[in-house]
Amino acid sequence: MSARTQPAPVVIVGGGLAGLTAAHALRHHGIPFRLFEASDRLAGLARSFRDADGFSHDFGAHFITNRLAAALGMGAECRTVQHYGEVVRLGGEDISYPLGLLGVPRFDLSAAWTRLRDAVRSTASPNDAATWFRHNFGRALADEVALPLLEAWSGQAAERLAPAVGEKLPGGLLETLWLKLAGRLTDRAVAIGYCGALPQSASVWHVYPEHGVGAICARLAEGLDDAVTLGTRVQRIRVEGGRAVSVRVEDDELPVSAVISTAPIHVLPRLVEGTDALERFARFRFRPMILANLNLEGRHLLSDTVVWLPERGFASYRVTEAPISMPWLAPEGKTTLTVDIGCEVGDDWWTASDAAIAARCLEDIAPLVPDAARRHRSHRVLRTPIGYPLFMRDYESDRLRLAIDGTGVDNLLSVGRNGAFDHLLMEDVYCRTLAQVQPLIDELLPAVRAA
Amino acid sequence: MNVPSEQTPTASTLSAGGLPIEEVDCPLCGRDDAEPIAVGEDFEYHTTRDSWRMVRCRRCRLLYLNPRPAPAALDAIYPDDYHAFAFEPARFGLIHAVRTRLEARRLRRWCRGLPKRARVVDVGCGDGFHLQILRRYGRPGWQLEGVDPSPRAVTAARRAGLNIHAGTVEQVGLPPASYDLALMIMTLEHVPDPLASLAAVRRALKPRGRLVVVTDNADTLDFRLFGRRHWGGYHFPRHFHLFDAATLGATAAAAGFGVRRAETAVSPINAMYSLRNLLVDLGAPAKVHDRLTLDSPVGLGLFTVLDALQAARGEGSVLCATLERSGRGRVLRGRFGGAR
Repeated sequence: MSARTQPAPVVIVGGGLAGLTAAHALRHHGIPFRLFEASDRLAGLARSFRDADGFSHDFGAHFITNRLAAALGMGAECRTVQHYGEVVRLGGEDISYPLGLLGVPRFDLSAAWTRLRDAVRSTASPNDAATWFRHNFGRALADEVALPLLEAWSGQAAERLAPAVGEKLPGGLLETLWLKLAGRLTDRAVAIGYCGALPQSASVWHVYPEHGVGAICARLAEGLDDAVTLGTRVQRIRVEGGRAVSVRVEDDELPVSAVISTAPIHVLPRLVEGTDALERFARFRFRPMILANLNLEGRHLLSDTVVWLPERGFASYRVTEAPISMPWLAPEGKTTLTVDIGCEVGDDWWTASDAAIAARCLEDIAPLVPDAARRHRSHRVLRTPIGYPLFMRDYESDRLRLAIDGTGVDNLLSVGRNGAFDHLLMEDVYCRTLAQVQPLIDELLPAVRAA
Repeated sequence: MNVPSEQTPTASTLSAGGLPIEEVDCPLCGRDDAEPIAVGEDFEYHTTRDSWRMVRCRRCRLLYLNPRPAPAALDAIYPDDYHAFAFEPARFGLIHAVRTRLEARRLRRWCRGLPKRARVVDVGCGDGFHLQILRRYGRPGWQLEGVDPSPRAVTAARRAGLNIHAGTVEQVGLPPASYDLALMIMTLEHVPDPLASLAAVRRALKPRGRLVVVTDNADTLDFRLFGRRHWGGYHFPRHFHLFDAATLGATAAAAGFGVRRAETAVSPINAMYSLRNLLVDLGAPAKVHDRLTLDSPVGLGLFTVLDALQAARGEGSVLCATLERSGRGRVLRGRFGGAR
C-alpha cells in the first residue's frame, strides 16, 4: 500500500441481501467499507432455517431465479423448481391464474366492453389503483378479483392507492402464454411476473438453493468478515453541506465517504441529522403482515401452489403450499401451508398468541382444507411490521422522486426492498442495488486507485 | 482493512459446483456495469454442473462471461476429448478432408503476399491443424510456429512435427518484431485478457506484420434466435467474450491495431450447436442430437448451406479480420461487409 491514504470507508447499514450485494460489489473494486448489522446474524429477510421436525422455512422469498444463481456461481447447488402455479378461489372453485380467468365469460365480456368504450371515448390515464384495474382488466374482474385482493393485502381502499400498484403486474397475454407453454415443455417453473429489473424469458426459471434462500447471502458474504460487524446499530448519519460525512456507531463518530442504507425508508429520516431533505419519506407506510406457517399431515392439500382468496369471508388473502413446488421443504407425507394475513400493528391479529393465530388460520382455510385442524401438527408464526411497501396516492410523487432522484443527499443511498420502497424480488434487489451503487463506485474508484 | 492493491482486483472463489471462478470487469473497457443476456450450462462436454451467465457491457457492448472459470479451472473445462486438441483424420474422415480444403483456401488468401522466408505464428494453435495445412499448401521456406497453453494440444502438435511454444502468448515471450503473420483462429474468445494477448501478438509482429483474427460472430440470425440460452457460440463456459463487428473493431483498436480487411465467413457450427443445445436441454434422445455434432456430415452440410445464405447478407457465423500492426487501418463500425 502506498503513502497516499485510503478514502474514508463507505458505511453500509444492514446485512440483508441488499447490504451484502453492495458490500460484495465494493469489495470487488477494492473500495473500503464497513457493514453494520443490528441483529446478531446476516441475511435479514432472505434468511432460511430448518426446524427440528424437518420443515424448512424461508422468511422472505421461497426461491430465486436461475439467472441470479448463475450470477453468484451457485447454479450447481440449486434445485430446479418444476412447477409453480396460482389459482383464484371463486364461488368454491379454483380457477387458474391468469389463463383460467380468461375462460370466464363475464370477465371477458366486461374487459371487451371496457376496451371498446375506452377506444371510443378517450379517457384520462387513471390516477388511482381502482380506476387502473377497472380500466385494464374490465370492471367484473377488477371488482370481483383484483380489487378485493388489493384491499385485503393493503388494508386500504383501492381509490387511495396509486396506479403504480397495478403496473407491477406481469406483461402481456401472449408473453404469458408463451412462458406457460415453455414451462410445460421444459418441466421448469418459468418465472412469470417475478422479474422486475430484467426481462423474463423461457430461459429464466425458479430455482431453490440446497441450503435455503439464505444461502445466497452466505455466498455474497464470503470473504467479507473483516468488514462486517454484527449486533451493532448505526445510531446517526451526520449530513453536512448536503453530504453524509460521518456515522455514529457505539457512540463513536466514524467518518464516511458515503452511506448505503437498507433501513426502511420511513425510518431513515430519524437516523439522519443535519438535513431535512429526507423528511418527506417519514410518512411512507408499510403494510404489517402475519405469515402463519401451519405444518400439516398430508401433501397437495391445495389445488395449486398458491390460492388467492378475493372473496369476503376469508381473513387471509393468500394461502401457499410451497411443498407442491418444492417437495423438499417438508418431510415426506407432510406439508406447510403459509397463510398471509394483512394486519395493523397492535390490532387483535397482531396481539394474539401464536396458538390463537394458528387456530384462526385453520378455521379460515377450512373451506379449502376441511380437515385442516385435524391435520395440524405444529406452526410457526412470523409477524413483520414492514411486510409490503404501500403506494399511497398521498405520497406518490415523493415515492417517484425517491425512485428517480434518490434520497436527496448525494452520497446517501437507500437500497433494498425496504430502503428503495419497492416491491422487489430477490433478483430485483440484487440488480437494483448494483445499479444504485454503480455511480458511487465510479465516484470513489479514482481515489481508491490513487491510494 | 484488507484492500486488494491491483487495478482490477479479481478474487477467485469456488462455485457451488466446486470449480474455481472469478468475477471480472469488462475485458475491453474495464467497467463493471453489464446486463445479463443469457444463462446456460455446458451443454456440449458437461464438464461442470454450474450455470453460467453471459453479460453485455452497458458501455462498450462487449459480451463476456461473468463470473467465469478462474485460471485454475482451465484443466477441468477443457476435457481430453476437446475437439481442438484432437481433430484427427482417422476420426473425422470426410469432414476432416472437406474442412482441410476449405480452410486451406482461406489460409492461402490470408497468406497472400507473404515473402518466401516468412515467419508465421498460430496463436492458440490447438493440435496444429492450421499449421499443418500451411506446411502442406504454403511455401516451403516459411517458418511455422504455434503457441498453445494446453499440454494436450502441445503434445499433439509436436507429435505432428510442429514447432510449438508451450504457454499463453503473454507467457512464452515470442521474439519481438519477428513475425510477418500471426493467426488467432477461434482463440480470442478463449483468452482471459484479449487486450493483453493482442498486445503480446502485436509486439511479436514485424512493423508491417499482420494478424488475422477469426472469431464467432454474435450478430447473426442464430444468435438472435437462441441468444437467451442455447446459442452455440456461447460454448459455456469456455468462451470468455464474444464479438460483433463493432466490438472486435474496438478491441483491435484498443490494442493498437488497424483493420485492413474485415468480413464474415461461413461456418455451420454455431447454428447447428444452437439447435443441438436446445435438444440436449429439452432432454431429447441422444440419437437425435448426435446428428448435430462435429462428426456428422449431414448436419454440417445442411447448416453450411444455411449459413452461406446468412454470409451472403454479411451475417456469416464467423468474423474474419485482417489487422495490421501499423494501426493505420480504418476503424470498424457496424457490420462487416453487410448490406445493411
